Amino acid sequence: MGEREKRDWIPLLLLLPTLIYLIAFLGYPLIETFILAFTSDQGALGNFKRLTATGEFWEALRNTLLITAVIVPLQLGFALMLALFINMKFKGYTFILYIISIPLALSDVSASLMSYTIFAPMGYLNKLLMNLHIIDRPIYFFGFTYQTREFWVIVLTEVWRATPLVFVIILAGLQAVNKEYLEAADIFGFSRWQKFTRIILPLLKPSILSALLIRTLFAFQIFGVVWLLAGRDIPILAGEAYYWQTEVNNSNVACTYGLVIALVSLIISWAYLTFLKPGHLEGEVTE
Amino acid sequence: MRKCLVVGVMLVLFVVGALAKVNFVSTQLVPAAERQFVEGKLLPEFERIYGVAAKFLPLSYAEASNRIEAEQKAGKVVVNLYADLQSNIDRLASKGFLMDMKPYTFKGRTFIKTLEKYAYARGIKEFIPWLQATYVFVVNKKAFDYLPKGLRKEDVIYGTEKWTYDALLEWARNITIKTGQKLLGFPMGPSSLWHRFLHGYLYPSFTGAQAIKFDSVRAVEMWEYLKKLFKYIHPSSSTWNSMDEPLLRGEVLLAWDHTARIKNAIVEKPDDFVVVPVPAGPMGRGYIVVLVGLSIPKNAPNVDEALKLIDYLTSPDVQVEILKESGFFPVVEEATGYIPEGALKILAQGVVNQSKTKDSIVAFIPSLGPKGGEYTQAYRVAFRRIVIEGEDPASVIKEIGEKIRRMFKETGAPIPYPDVELY
Repeated sequence: MGEREKRDWIPLLLLLPTLIYLIAFLGYPLIETFILAFTSDQGALGNFKRLTATGEFWEALRNTLLITAVIVPLQLGFALMLALFINMKFKGYTFILYIISIPLALSDVSASLMSYTIFAPMGYLNKLLMNLHIIDRPIYFFGFTYQTREFWVIVLTEVWRATPLVFVIILAGLQAVNKEYLEAADIFGFSRWQKFTRIILPLLKPSILSALLIRTLFAFQIFGVVWLLAGRDIPILAGEAYYWQTEVNNSNVACTYGLVIALVSLIISWAYLTFLKPGHLEGEVTE
Repeated sequence: MRKCLVVGVMLVLFVVGALAKVNFVSTQLVPAAERQFVEGKLLPEFERIYGVAAKFLPLSYAEASNRIEAEQKAGKVVVNLYADLQSNIDRLASKGFLMDMKPYTFKGRTFIKTLEKYAYARGIKEFIPWLQATYVFVVNKKAFDYLPKGLRKEDVIYGTEKWTYDALLEWARNITIKTGQKLLGFPMGPSSLWHRFLHGYLYPSFTGAQAIKFDSVRAVEMWEYLKKLFKYIHPSSSTWNSMDEPLLRGEVLLAWDHTARIKNAIVEKPDDFVVVPVPAGPMGRGYIVVLVGLSIPKNAPNVDEALKLIDYLTSPDVQVEILKESGFFPVVEEATGYIPEGALKILAQGVVNQSKTKDSIVAFIPSLGPKGGEYTQAYRVAFRRIVIEGEDPASVIKEIGEKIRRMFKETGAPIPYPDVELY
């Protein structure tokens, strides 16, 4: 009996380091965040009232949602096309695969700085256009008066930087597709489009869901690229949290922003998992 | 546990006190590299020349103040030289803890008058100026080709009465007309020091104060001026946190920033740039000075030795040594003569020229503690609402002015310079 009791404790003991780690580095900061967000001179909801009373919060929320809504479908579309292309396994496809994957190794800071050197007033693009006598003065892409241009530079940078992640996930899913299904489809006389929509896409659904979930959550927490390229010209939620913490030194408002990001992320994850739940192939085909 | 720690620290300081003739507590030159410079070079050299042993005790602001206060209250004074920011020294002097430095003079140096006058308060001389840091304008020499009528290069370099904010507006307009580009730049990014320009430069220059005239009629005129100037400010300014890079890339020809944040540009291309005083407004030439002073606590032992260390630390060549190793500039006029030609000379010359201007209005950053961030945020919000979003200046500053007054009331922070001089 005693021996058995001892054995029962062993798994729990093995879990202990992880548990301590989670409590120390996730649990404790989370509780502190809640406490700070709900502490203010104007009652428990004071920080939330202060937040929603400013135009900056709504602008940040709108911009964050807009960036996510534009970036994620673009990344998914490009990644899907590239994965299908690479999966044709033509001669020298591995070389192209490496080229596509290069941005995976780049941090958001490096990607932003590279982007800045291209689009800056004295950057490569302006210098090229001026040398070709297409323009005689630099085109400005950054600054409060050029928010639309800034927005599209951010989209371009982010799509370039983060599409490979979606691409790798989808390519892995694509390579796991059982060839027998496709051979059977050939026997039944499926067209290429039919094979794509009736077999490949349903089988890719778990990969697409993972990629979408990861990318949407990351896009919602976007910070470095916007902060470096646009500062607070285009306020975003994570940027505002950082600004209130480091520049205004108000941890309460910063934590309130943090909680809003967490809440919206939770809603997005729930929506994905509920509405895009992958079914079994057999189920899909018989339907 | 805490008691043990205090007793331990006291013991260490006591032993140190028994060994050295000068126990030098400082809240400045605390970072490891700077500390090493003081302990490894500055003080050994002092000991060699004067034959007096000195011990450097770098402490935080709170530790240093508490230390001086505790020694005074206990009646057992060990620290006989204390370096800190003007505002902290003033607070201790207000409690009667510091010696009057009036009787002491130091040969072979002229303290910059604009700075030295802040040492006099409550009928005594609270400290001897030691170091300063500030924010200045940097001019790419190409910009002198576009000077407006009536403004000469020398006016800008020496900060004469002709180098005004109106002249800056004309200059920036001229540059835009002739080059087709907006080449005046300010660091307006989220981590920049743009708020310092608003509360420490424009406000004192236009209203004579940084906070108490926040919603005055003159403040409305200031905001109207900034709206006009804004038309000629480089549009990417809102993304820049420091001006060294835009200056080096040639994106701007005129820029304002903290000396530490433009140093790189001058060091890399010393022949391209000149550092000049800031322009003056209708009330004078407002600028922020981070001023560090040296003072001696009351009833301190070995006062003569402490005075020798002051003599050494304020000597022109030592001031230049400190400039080379840190971001602090000399407070004695003669120091510029000891700076080797090159980047540092250009920087120091600009800083000294600015401090020597006759219409100077020196502003000190207020000690608002945890409300410091909200104070600077208030100026940034006013700028965004008035200049970028086009709201009515009078109503915006009335609303925000109320908040600023409340900050001083809630924290009990003393009214800062130059505001205090208006009372």
